[in-house]
Amino acid sequence: MQEIDLELQIGLRKLVVYRETVVTEAGAQPARPARQASVAAVVRNPWVGTGPTHDLSADVARIAPVLARLVTDHLIEALGGVDAVEAFGKAAIVGSAGEIEHGGALIHTPYFGNLMREFLDGESIICFADTRAEAGEPLVVPLWHKSQAATRSHYQTVTARVSDAPRADEVVIVGAASTGPRPHPRIGDRTTDPAVTSKSLESVLS
Amino acid sequence: MKVRKIVTVVEEIRSEGGREVYPPARVAVVAAVIENPWAGQGFVDDLGPGINATASDLGALLAPQVLDALDAPAEAYGKAAIVGLDGEIEHGSGLIHTLQFGDHFRKAANATTLLPAVEKRGPAGVLFDIPLKHITDATIRSHHQTVEVRIADAPHPDEIVVALAAAAQGRPQQRLAPLSTEQ
Repeated sequence: MQEIDLELQIGLRKLVVYRETVVTEAGAQPARPARQASVAAVVRNPWVGTGPTHDLSADVARIAPVLARLVTDHLIEALGGVDAVEAFGKAAIVGSAGEIEHGGALIHTPYFGNLMREFLDGESIICFADTRAEAGEPLVVPLWHKSQAATRSHYQTVTARVSDAPRADEVVIVGAASTGPRPHPRIGDRTTDPAVTSKSLESVLS
Repeated sequence: MKVRKIVTVVEEIRSEGGREVYPPARVAVVAAVIENPWAGQGFVDDLGPGINATASDLGALLAPQVLDALDAPAEAYGKAAIVGLDGEIEHGSGLIHTLQFGDHFRKAANATTLLPAVEKRGPAGVLFDIPLKHITDATIRSHHQTVEVRIADAPHPDEIVVALAAAAQGRPQQRLAPLSTEQ
């Protein structure tokens, strides 16, 4: 019940867990089949009606850690454990009565990001998307590797959407993760790339 | 049956109308994105062989997964077939409007009623609402509800999305008089 009380205190209305398991892609099974998940938490925007000079920090420290815990707990459950998670990302969709800054406040500070990284046992900066939109707007959330962000095989996205959120005075906070790379990764990596500069490509660019 | 991907959605409503919903109201959907068994064959008069080759396997695939995702006994349920643009709605209807498909869910959920359904044709990313009704008595008004689903990249023109939905309860804050009070 303590958990539920905390969630009520932060104004949680709804939670949507979305998971995709690729069986085949382009007609073939992936060598490493991956599952992607997004968890979207719909919360009241605590700053609706406040002005652009309002200090957001107190509410951030109160709300963002609860969201980080809630979202990562459900990601871990949806994907089969912390160790299964290889890539992560995050997002905020702010309702029309709020500022993008409000969404940023809930996902870009240590009160969310550090905790999400810690709970998912990652090291990378967490990549993100944010927008202000009407309810039902889909948002494409980028993911990359949780400990080696430059791992190109793990650059991927998952689309998050809540049919009836955000209302004007709400924010949708999204955590997303994947258990592996894209279905058929074959675009090399930094370790295999040739040195490419405008000079080396003179024949192509001229 | 050629499956491209399986999508699972679980919605949990914690408050509605400004009041807490406790326990949280849960609705789960599991959808399989499959190749349309009749893709590229022109007008097929007899859909029977394709139905027999696919519908039961689909029901067996989806029924346990949707109950697993719900993580509670189902009290209401429904189904969907969303046909990609090159197919006929009849193709989707063929796969879900047969006891071969629905009996897996009915048996697993101890249900007795027919599954309410949505069938439509649309592009990838089309929204669809799955209607749900009570699993043993379709007149129980508290359990009439819908869940909205969207898969960003499905169905392709030659695909069909087939889905099952289950709810662990009626609508959150349901408070309508039962049908019997009007009869």
